[in-house]
Amino acid sequence: MQTAKQKNSSLDRVLIQIFLIGNAIIMLYPILMMALSGFKTNAEIFTRPFGMPSSFNLDNFKVIWTQTDVPRYLINSAIVTGFSVLFLLVMGTMAAYALSRYRWRGSIMVSLFFLSGLMLPLRLAIIPLFIQLKAMGLTDNPLGLIAIYTAMSLPATVFILTGFLRSLPAELEDSARIDGASELRIMVQIMTPLISPALVIAGIYNAVPIWNDFFFPLIFIQSPEWKTLAQGLTQFFGEYSINYGVLYAGLTLAALPIVVIFIAQSRRFIAGMTAGAIK
Amino acid sequence: MTAMTDADFRRAIRARTLRRNLWLAFLLLPPMAVMFIFIFLPMGSAVLYSVYEWDGLVRGDFVGLENFREVLFEPQKSKFLFNAFKNNVIVFVSVMVVQNGLALVLAMLLAREPKGYRFYQVVFFLPVILSTVIIGFQWKLFLNPVFGLVNNLLRAAGLDSWALPWLGLPETALPSMILVNAWHWVGFPTLVFLAAIHRIPKDYIEAARLDGASEWRIARDIIWPLMAPAVTIIVVLTFIGAFNWFEIPYVMNGLEGAPGYSTDMLGLLFYRTAFGSISATDSDFGAGSALAVLIFLFIFTVSLIFTRLLTAREIELA
Amino acid sequence: MAHIVMRDVQKRFGNVEVIPGASLEIKDNEFVVFVGPSGCGKSTLLRLLAGLEDLTAGAIEIDGERVDHLSPSRRGLAMVFQSYALYPHMTVRENMSYALRVARTPKAEVEAKVREAAEILQLTEYLDRKPKALSGGQRQRVAIGRAIVRDPKVFLFDEPLSNLDAKLRVQMRIEITKLHRRLKATMIYVTHDQIEAMTMADKIVVLNEGRIEQMGAPLDLYNDPDNKFVAGFIGSPAMNFFDGTVTARDDAALTVELSDKTKVVYPCANPGQAGVGDAVTLGVRPENFHFDGGDEPAIKGEVYAVERLGGETYLYLQSTAGHETVVHAVGDHEVAVGDQVAVNFNPARNHLFDPQGRTIR
Ligand SMILES: Nc1ncnc2c1ncn2[C@@H]1O[C@H](COP(=O)(O)OP(=O)(O)OP(=O)(O)O)[C@@H](O)[C@H]1O
Ligand SMILES: [Mg+2]
Repeated sequence: MQTAKQKNSSLDRVLIQIFLIGNAIIMLYPILMMALSGFKTNAEIFTRPFGMPSSFNLDNFKVIWTQTDVPRYLINSAIVTGFSVLFLLVMGTMAAYALSRYRWRGSIMVSLFFLSGLMLPLRLAIIPLFIQLKAMGLTDNPLGLIAIYTAMSLPATVFILTGFLRSLPAELEDSARIDGASELRIMVQIMTPLISPALVIAGIYNAVPIWNDFFFPLIFIQSPEWKTLAQGLTQFFGEYSINYGVLYAGLTLAALPIVVIFIAQSRRFIAGMTAGAIK
Repeated sequence: MTAMTDADFRRAIRARTLRRNLWLAFLLLPPMAVMFIFIFLPMGSAVLYSVYEWDGLVRGDFVGLENFREVLFEPQKSKFLFNAFKNNVIVFVSVMVVQNGLALVLAMLLAREPKGYRFYQVVFFLPVILSTVIIGFQWKLFLNPVFGLVNNLLRAAGLDSWALPWLGLPETALPSMILVNAWHWVGFPTLVFLAAIHRIPKDYIEAARLDGASEWRIARDIIWPLMAPAVTIIVVLTFIGAFNWFEIPYVMNGLEGAPGYSTDMLGLLFYRTAFGSISATDSDFGAGSALAVLIFLFIFTVSLIFTRLLTAREIELA
Repeated sequence: MAHIVMRDVQKRFGNVEVIPGASLEIKDNEFVVFVGPSGCGKSTLLRLLAGLEDLTAGAIEIDGERVDHLSPSRRGLAMVFQSYALYPHMTVRENMSYALRVARTPKAEVEAKVREAAEILQLTEYLDRKPKALSGGQRQRVAIGRAIVRDPKVFLFDEPLSNLDAKLRVQMRIEITKLHRRLKATMIYVTHDQIEAMTMADKIVVLNEGRIEQMGAPLDLYNDPDNKFVAGFIGSPAMNFFDGTVTARDDAALTVELSDKTKVVYPCANPGQAGVGDAVTLGVRPENFHFDGGDEPAIKGEVYAVERLGGETYLYLQSTAGHETVVHAVGDHEVAVGDQVAVNFNPARNHLFDPQGRTIR
């Protein structure tokens, strides 16, 4: 009886591993193939689709680096994502701090104001947003994207940070007050450093979708000067539509930065990106 | 120093309160202003715009519900709406079954912490962090009928007759895209479910095991009911995602939902109506706004219903 | 070095009146302890004094100057919290010097003050550690050190020792007392611990529902409480109370009959405070019972629990006078559960309370 059960569970374990490994291959193989194909010439892609590239020469990547706008798109995406995350963390912390560390009349109403933003799909308001940004001179302008991303991310950011800030003991604040620190100083020097893990989580939670976003640049950015990576790729695909090696290399290059960061910080990424969905 | 009166002290204390309120205003006004200008204002305007006639960027006369009538009941337009809606429903149902079903199985397996389970978590999550555009293009290349990886693999396996132009046939285009979406996102519900399972106190599962329950019974009778909140969230997020589906179809089969509108989606239709496209007419902000309002009302109402129904199933942990 | 006056201080949170009105004077260099049941407003009173809460009405003066409009840091006081409230991301040195750095004190002076405080508190070798790497007692000392470096006129302590284990508590209690003598500062100390209150205080303030019930030297409160509340609160184990009725009165005594008909003649200076037929309460401290009282009145009852600690014994009686009664006896007393016993007490050393709970003296 005991041994039968034991045998059963070790069989279980083998089956589970087979299933998981199968899945892992399905997840990894396409990414690996994408990267490998980036090193191949067109001819190689046709003749030896599964094989290793004949050499790891960087020709395709050189083409991208010197002859396309992809590097520019990378920089633009970095600028837009960087400033958006900076602004949304600063403003998110400010709002969350006011909502979590002070008692005042109307704080519930203001919380609801922020929370209701969680449920508004801004994409559906793209028409008025377009007219509005045009009037403000923010189309074809990274500031427009930054403003939209900041606004869109604030509800979730305030929500995440409020939870963390609430958990800090009030005595720390009182202690700093008696030590003569101003409210600003208490926020910046005492309380905010203590929620730095939450800032990382909120930062990742927002940065990844912003970095990957395609929809808003598609609408708001026309000139190549300010195209972001996801959007720029569509342009690039049009231009190089028959040079498959270069296309694969472009995709690989576009995926590289975030994959590298993810592999280095996978635990934080997973915690961050699932933060909104885990109570 | 002259002696202060009692009133002076009251005033001094009031000044302190005022300073605190100014500080709160300083903290709250910038984020609230950004939210108001870039979210609430456009959302409100969308409703307003839908009851006006539009000529390009210029607002015309008030036309009441005319735009709604047009998109809902004028056969030339409504046939697109209902076709796209049908496709979105198919996407939602398939994603629920294929992607979330697989995620549930993976989460249950990972929860038993098999060897290498950290590695599996990272691998399953890897596509999630990639841009939909990258994924869309990558799979568009893989699904190329002539030299794509998928058909190459099929031919190598001797299944030459299976080597179809996947994205070119009306019957296979949408299923292919749904599978690509599942490949992209499956790691997300998997890890949300996994986190939910990890939050179930170990005692419950051990108690059931001592009672002699099989792993299957434990999964069905203990884990599944207790992970209800995560299920609620995933169902609602999947629903919202399915009805906002845009990037994958746009990148893989274009704005027109090729072939023959078999992959048309509400998101694509909205974009075409609002901003115009090669085939469709010029941009029409009125009809576009009406569509936006309809889609929003639909998503909002159904999400609310889902949340209601599903939270009723949730059990408070003592 | 500070003389504190709180005049009719009131505090409301919304509609909840937490301090309906408290007046209090604390002399220079005095060690004052606030005691009272949980939720009675001890912390609130301390926080009002510190400036962490605004007064609803009333006035606070330190050394003759109104301070109730000043921010906490300008009142010249320091506070030590129950949770220590050390800044977790700063080292001990940074924690202790924070207030001085905020005030832009010259570096050399900061360093000197931190070093001095660290020496007093034996913290020198821990200066570069983070609070997480310290024991509870060390954290407590850092919290005190943080207060010391600021040279405050007044130290406020809110249950500073209640997170420590019993042994450390005794040690820290003695250290704080020493510190008080050394620094010659006014100290206000909130505690739940009877022993801390009795041993450390120059003056105890007993609070109940935001009101000051009585203040005075520890033994005065113990020996001569103003009312039933204070009598019950000061002393551990608490005083036993017996309901009774006044059956006779003369110039210097009241005769009280307990519910089991035991008659007690209670000598007092103002018997007029109660009339014949009044319901009164007799209070007897556990340590005022004894076993060989001759014709003294006695409480009779059955022993339902005994705690024999060697040096002393506690008996728990279900007394015929209707109450559970605690008796303290010196030494190891030979009694067993179920025994019927009678314990005597000297009426002159006990307390009688009128129907309003005031002591009849
Ligand atoms: N900020 C506040 N808002 C509303 N009520 C409060 C607030 N702070 C304290 N109270 C209430 O005031 C009363 C007194 O609280 P306080 O903290 O002063 O009691 P305490 O005597 O220190 O109690 P403990 O011994 O438990 O520390 C309590 O009933 C408490 O609920
Ligand atoms: Mg308290």
